Amino acid sequence: MSTGPLIHIVDDDASMRAALLRLLVAAGFEARGYSSTGEFLLQPLPDRPGCLLLDLRMPGPSGLDLQTALQQQNITLPVVFLTGHATVDSSVRAMKAGAVDFLTKPVKRDILLDAVQRALARDAVQRTARDEANRLQARFASLTQRQREVFDLVVAGKLNKQIADELDIAERTVKREREQVMAKLDASSAADLGRLAELLHRSSAR
Amino acid sequence: MHSLGMARALMAVLALCCVAAPLHAAEEDAHVVMLYGLDPYLPPFLVMDKAVRESIASGKGAQAIFFSETLDSQRFAMETLEPELVALLAKKYSALHIEVVVAVSRKALDFFVRHGDRIWPGARVVYVGFLGYEFKPTELPPGASAVLSILDVAGTIDIARRLQPDARRIVVVSGVSEIDRQAERQAREALAKLDAQVPVEYLSGLPLPELEARVAAEPSDSFVIYLTQFRDRDGRPYEPHDVLRVIVKASRAPVYGAVETLIGLGAVAGSVASYASRGRLIAEQVRRALADEPLDPSRTVLAAPNRCVADARALQRWSLDAGRLPDDCDIRFANVPIWRQYWWAVALALLIFAAEATLIVALLSQRRRRRLAEQAEQAQRAELTRAARLAMAGELTGAIAHEINQPLGAILSNADAGDLMLDSGADRRDELRAILADIRRDDLRASEVIQHLRDLLGKQKFERKELDLNDVVSNLEPIMRAEARRRGVVLEIRRAPETLAIMGDRVQIQQVLINLVLNAMDAVADESEARRTVIVSAAKGESGAVLAVRDHGRGIAPEHRTKLFESFFSTKPSGMGLGLSITRTIVEAHGGRILVASSSEEGTTFQAEFPTAIANGAPFPYPA
Repeated sequence: MSTGPLIHIVDDDASMRAALLRLLVAAGFEARGYSSTGEFLLQPLPDRPGCLLLDLRMPGPSGLDLQTALQQQNITLPVVFLTGHATVDSSVRAMKAGAVDFLTKPVKRDILLDAVQRALARDAVQRTARDEANRLQARFASLTQRQREVFDLVVAGKLNKQIADELDIAERTVKREREQVMAKLDASSAADLGRLAELLHRSSAR
Repeated sequence: MHSLGMARALMAVLALCCVAAPLHAAEEDAHVVMLYGLDPYLPPFLVMDKAVRESIASGKGAQAIFFSETLDSQRFAMETLEPELVALLAKKYSALHIEVVVAVSRKALDFFVRHGDRIWPGARVVYVGFLGYEFKPTELPPGASAVLSILDVAGTIDIARRLQPDARRIVVVSGVSEIDRQAERQAREALAKLDAQVPVEYLSGLPLPELEARVAAEPSDSFVIYLTQFRDRDGRPYEPHDVLRVIVKASRAPVYGAVETLIGLGAVAGSVASYASRGRLIAEQVRRALADEPLDPSRTVLAAPNRCVADARALQRWSLDAGRLPDDCDIRFANVPIWRQYWWAVALALLIFAAEATLIVALLSQRRRRRLAEQAEQAQRAELTRAARLAMAGELTGAIAHEINQPLGAILSNADAGDLMLDSGADRRDELRAILADIRRDDLRASEVIQHLRDLLGKQKFERKELDLNDVVSNLEPIMRAEARRRGVVLEIRRAPETLAIMGDRVQIQQVLINLVLNAMDAVADESEARRTVIVSAAKGESGAVLAVRDHGRGIAPEHRTKLFESFFSTKPSGMGLGLSITRTIVEAHGGRILVASSSEEGTTFQAEFPTAIANGAPFPYPA
């Protein structure tokens, strides 16, 4: 299976959908078309970089509804809206909800491909951040209970002696556990650990 | 109530077993089980259930006999009851073939997946639930159908922040049952994304008296997001709506909710999906399942999208400014005198009315002075007809832009794709040929829309021809549908199976139709989603063909009814007051008549009746 970017196109107009698919494929992308928001949501989303080209107004749920639904499921696929008739209200709503761009049909090739590139760039940034967070979580999960306690206290700015007192263990043990923590988390200083703690906190809040 | 319902259902089963077998009459009816994971008497389910049954009963297809079962999984420990429950249900339904099971909530679906084969062998399942919150669409079992919506906690918080941008604290109330906790998790996620630094407190699973006291102590510049509370931390069960009632009574801070039926019990507003439309969509899926049709994705997921709904009384109680709500917010329970609510509109209407009266006098005196020849007068009337048509086209610009930009967009993208293919140097003649064919087709599509518009707006000779009223409706269907979609109105179009031959001018009859449809859409513009429906029909009447346009608005005020067809009479601030008067002129000039029936409950129906065309037709008095 390919792992390059995949562009998803949701548009109820069969002719428009076919034209967009052709254009993106000719421009070197892989693309998939869906005739309604429901059809898109009912298919498993492959774990690949990509973005979503979304018609604003369709029979049944609209593009804005799909955008909400994706956020609801924590799917961060960046969205580019395409519409036959833009209103200020809908474009403001779409951009506020984090759309990459809001384009009006007929759309020029350069403008469309530029928006797709920006969406893919945003997706890449998001994916890297998520991968890093996941790796960090995995490394953190490999710590023992004792090591986690030591980690928390180091991050809180405690010295080895204070930690030893608090956990009621020998200072030598603290030192050894602390080295283990640094090695497992690939950190080189206490400040480094602090940064990692911050990252961990943010990724678990998501 | 529970055992009573069960007894009634059992009696129904027994009655059916005894009656159905010898008579074979009930074989026509389908058997549908409504399987609830929660208490089926919860207010949203009452609304939904009613809509399901009514839609099936009023539908054209097969009728259904309904049975109800509940697991009440948020208040009872299902695991311990399940073996006996399964045995009982299997026995209960052993003599009855169930075609469809509607599983409401995830627990009900899981129960069906585990035991459906044994209790209701061969039944198809329609799942009703929340997306993401308890379910991913890809988890749908094969052959199942679904109606999925969103519990929009984030949207509800957004509405609260719009109404109270200066709120100093946010309080989130929820219980500790599985559903309660899932909703709370959503609230936590949504609030973690807020950039503003507003302290948030979670009151999770507090026993009611303690909860009441905590909420009462909250200052008025906070806001309370009420999720659901099925159970408190001591395991005490609740009805979530009762908990809301208590909170609303005690709280000085405004309370918001993300479930439709909480708005109206005292919650200010929320981003909610309509349970009535969900019910209608379920009925549609049940009908498809009965007919063995596959799932229809566009009517399945989010087909009842979330909308802002607010309670006017609650807005008033907490002195919140309705003007801060989103434009499309559905404000319910408003009980303000029309004059006070729309004083500016009324004042404007009066002003325009006065201006128009002056204009009428001026026109009349002008006419008297000049003593226009009959022909000149007719020419003027034709101009007026055309002016009204142009005004109508102005209203339709959004729909027209959409209808034309769609094929233009496809043409441009196809041309760009062809360009790129040529650049690549490879021989892709077949693909290029397909592209050119599509471009040609889309070009014709766009020019057809333009042709229709030119027919409608152009200054052309009056043409009297034999037409089929069905075709008039079909020609305008794309524009009417685009306009309906733009305005969020459900448009139903019914054509007659037979030819409806009339003699007349196609353009003028189209004008009658568009004018009536735009009026109907205006009439339902401010209605709740359930009433925003317009039905256009062409049918055979007593003495001709009838074009009818029906809306579910609040009807025409009795004092306006007599003036309806007068020139320059309008209740709309920007209306010219020519639409209906010209409509009537056109219909009568075709030898027909126009009828109107209106009531505040049923809405308004306009009927234009045209005489059936006969060879070498009747005299035609209106040469425009």
